[in-house]
Amino acid sequence: MLAYIIRRVAQSALVLLIVGLVAFAMFRFVGDPIDNMLGQERTAEDIERLRGQLGLDQPFVVQYYRFLENAVQGNFGVSYRQGRPVIDILMERAPATLELAAVSGILAIIFGIALGVFTAIKRNGITANLIMSGSLIGVSLPTFLIGILLIYLFSVELGWLPSFGRGEVVDLGGWSTGFLTASGLKALILPSITLGLYQMTLIMRLVRSEMLEVLRQDYIRFARARGLRDRTVHFRHALKNTMVPVITVIGLQVGAIIAFAIITETVFQWPGVGLLFINAIQFVDIPVMAAYLMLISVMFVGINLIVDILYFFIDPRLRVDRKGGH
Amino acid sequence: MLRLLRTAACAAAILPAALVPAAQAKEFSWAVTTDPQTMDPHAVNSTPVLGFLNNVYEGLVRRGKDMSIEPALATGWEPIGEGEGWRFFLREGVTFQDGSTFDAEDVVFSYERASSPESDTASWFAPVSDVVRVDDYTVDFLTHSPNPIFPDSIANWMIMDSGWAEANAATRPDKESGNFATLNANGTGAFRVTTREPGLRTVLEPFADWWGEPEHNITRAEMTPIQNPATALAALLSGDVDMINPVPIQDVQRLQGNPDVQVVQGIEARVMMLGFPHQAEALKYSAETEGNPFADARVRKAVAHAINVPAILRTIMRGNAEPVNQLVSSAMRGYSEALADAPAYDPEAAKALLAEAGYPDGFSFGLKCSNNRYLNDEAVCQAVTAMLAQVGLKATLDAMPVQNYWPELRAGNYDMYLLGWSPGTFDAEHPIRFLAATPNEEKKLGSWNFGGYSNARVDELLPKIQSEIDEPTRQGMLDEVAQVLQDETAYVPLYVQPLVWGTGSNVTLTQRPDNFFILRWVSVN
Repeated sequence: MLAYIIRRVAQSALVLLIVGLVAFAMFRFVGDPIDNMLGQERTAEDIERLRGQLGLDQPFVVQYYRFLENAVQGNFGVSYRQGRPVIDILMERAPATLELAAVSGILAIIFGIALGVFTAIKRNGITANLIMSGSLIGVSLPTFLIGILLIYLFSVELGWLPSFGRGEVVDLGGWSTGFLTASGLKALILPSITLGLYQMTLIMRLVRSEMLEVLRQDYIRFARARGLRDRTVHFRHALKNTMVPVITVIGLQVGAIIAFAIITETVFQWPGVGLLFINAIQFVDIPVMAAYLMLISVMFVGINLIVDILYFFIDPRLRVDRKGGH
Repeated sequence: MLRLLRTAACAAAILPAALVPAAQAKEFSWAVTTDPQTMDPHAVNSTPVLGFLNNVYEGLVRRGKDMSIEPALATGWEPIGEGEGWRFFLREGVTFQDGSTFDAEDVVFSYERASSPESDTASWFAPVSDVVRVDDYTVDFLTHSPNPIFPDSIANWMIMDSGWAEANAATRPDKESGNFATLNANGTGAFRVTTREPGLRTVLEPFADWWGEPEHNITRAEMTPIQNPATALAALLSGDVDMINPVPIQDVQRLQGNPDVQVVQGIEARVMMLGFPHQAEALKYSAETEGNPFADARVRKAVAHAINVPAILRTIMRGNAEPVNQLVSSAMRGYSEALADAPAYDPEAAKALLAEAGYPDGFSFGLKCSNNRYLNDEAVCQAVTAMLAQVGLKATLDAMPVQNYWPELRAGNYDMYLLGWSPGTFDAEHPIRFLAATPNEEKKLGSWNFGGYSNARVDELLPKIQSEIDEPTRQGMLDEVAQVLQDETAYVPLYVQPLVWGTGSNVTLTQRPDNFFILRWVSVN
């Protein structure tokens, strides 16, 4: 088993290295940061000097090697735009993204499961059908449009909720939280709906189809025959058995919520790492782009690694295969 | 217990309200597209940085509402001898926001800091040979040659306290890794920075000991960067911010119909123009054309006649911009009044000129254009492409983000390109130095003259313009250069870029053509 885990870890590390290499090969197409860093009155000499200082005159493989060399020592470089260590900036921005992702995720799970169960049980009712057709919006409308529509409805027309930003935040030893102020909580509503809508509809549709499948099973019929109440049948017997695939999907979607926060953060000017990344692209802030991409890939690779290792415990066949060999 | 807590909370809530009369508390918030990169006034020479810091730091001189130079930290200035330099008399009784006193030492220190190689503003001081402290409130700036526009050229040079910089190890700007001055500010200006969270928000409060008479009624101001134009517009419409810059051109009309907001329009100092590859041997993006037709002034003139600038402005800019025929707008010092008329839109004349130059059927070429640098830049280039096609000039448009655009222009990968130029000194000499002078790395001339335009007379007149004290003589030389550039159609100037701000209807402010947002002229009613 140890050998299996070591192998998976080694494979993950290789994936990370390749992601980094591809990222560095692409940076040159994003543009040239030099013009953004020097003013109008720069000379060709200034351009060459700065290019040399930043190591941009080197081939991308060398740049990548230098980045790795520093990264393993915990140094992710200094942002071209802000002139501050990238790690500080990421730490500053991470709470915003993580709080938004957490709220969207929780909303998506609660409403997704509840609506999924509802539409499965009342699958011929008018309300259930309305919800099902409504869920098409969540699946098909782009996040950007949903965000803008929500802003126009709830901020511009009704004036209930703020149109951008995080509201007042409270600093808890380096972690800035919006959970403790009224304006912070209000500011969370629209972005988290925007970000979580797709995941919610996904979970809802999954729960519904799994539930319909389970409700056809013999043990449900027997449960009904035993005279159990509907409530017990639906929640204790049916829902419990639909949860295995649902939990797997939720796990995989956690990474997606954080990574896809970019669009939501841009629409709502939400000061998280996604917005930071978009700004970094516009400025060709290579250290920030590199650190962000590595962070996101570490996260995805990490989640996949955990899932793989969990399979190892869940699925005995894997163990047999390793022992027996082919 | 609970009741006690509640009473205490109520008291706490009422107290500040009772102390500050509600009518006086004027909070103002505004949204910008680009967050200033730094709070260091000498590190980066860009509009977002200098424009913002103008509220916090001050220079010896400053620009008024009409862009004219007026006294700030200097109360007066006079030329020394026969143009050996300028003497500045400093204002007494001025304190920095940390309480220390302003005097000549700070001026000398700020000169050394701003002219150091680490600084982005060093080129402002290229004409200066030495700065001498005469006494505590008098400083001499000695120049290599007579320099009539020196006081004008340092309006954005801001004074930093030498003691503060030394105490915080920020005696030189550090753009690459930052220092104390990157995140903190200590000027003499009307506002001080109380909170600085890069990319998130910056909070300003009035500086109680400011030497000037406040014209504003703001008690607290907050600046937030909002990159997405739709989000910024929504923030203005919902009242979450009091001002946005810019308003997307296509939304201007809609905002004008809304009683809760107003649109403040003006023109920027930026002139948009088309440039040519004067020195190229051949066109880069043309299969059939021999040589470089744009080396022929008649072809360049034909381009000028073929473009219907008023039509572009009517459709793409919705009438918010005005045509221009020189490298500077009429609001700038040294503008040539006699040459105000733009070449008429005349496709027949354009065709005749092309035939005369040996291209009766026109030719094909590549037009390079940015798509995120200037207002509606790509749309303007599309219109230009269509208009040129009508006289037989078949342009292939290649529009790209500005991050990729400048490297392409530097590499000479264009047959025609779009460029906007905003003269930092607000003087007609500026574009001549950067765009019309023959490129010369050593003398730092023509550094944005991508096409390598070169004219001996222009090169001869430039140093004379730079050192001529007598205003009419200087204007005569500027007129001559403008005439040469127009006769040779070195560039095809198109229009002056508009400036469109949106504010709540209860806000009054002053818009300056340098696109600086000056907080001390803002009132909230």
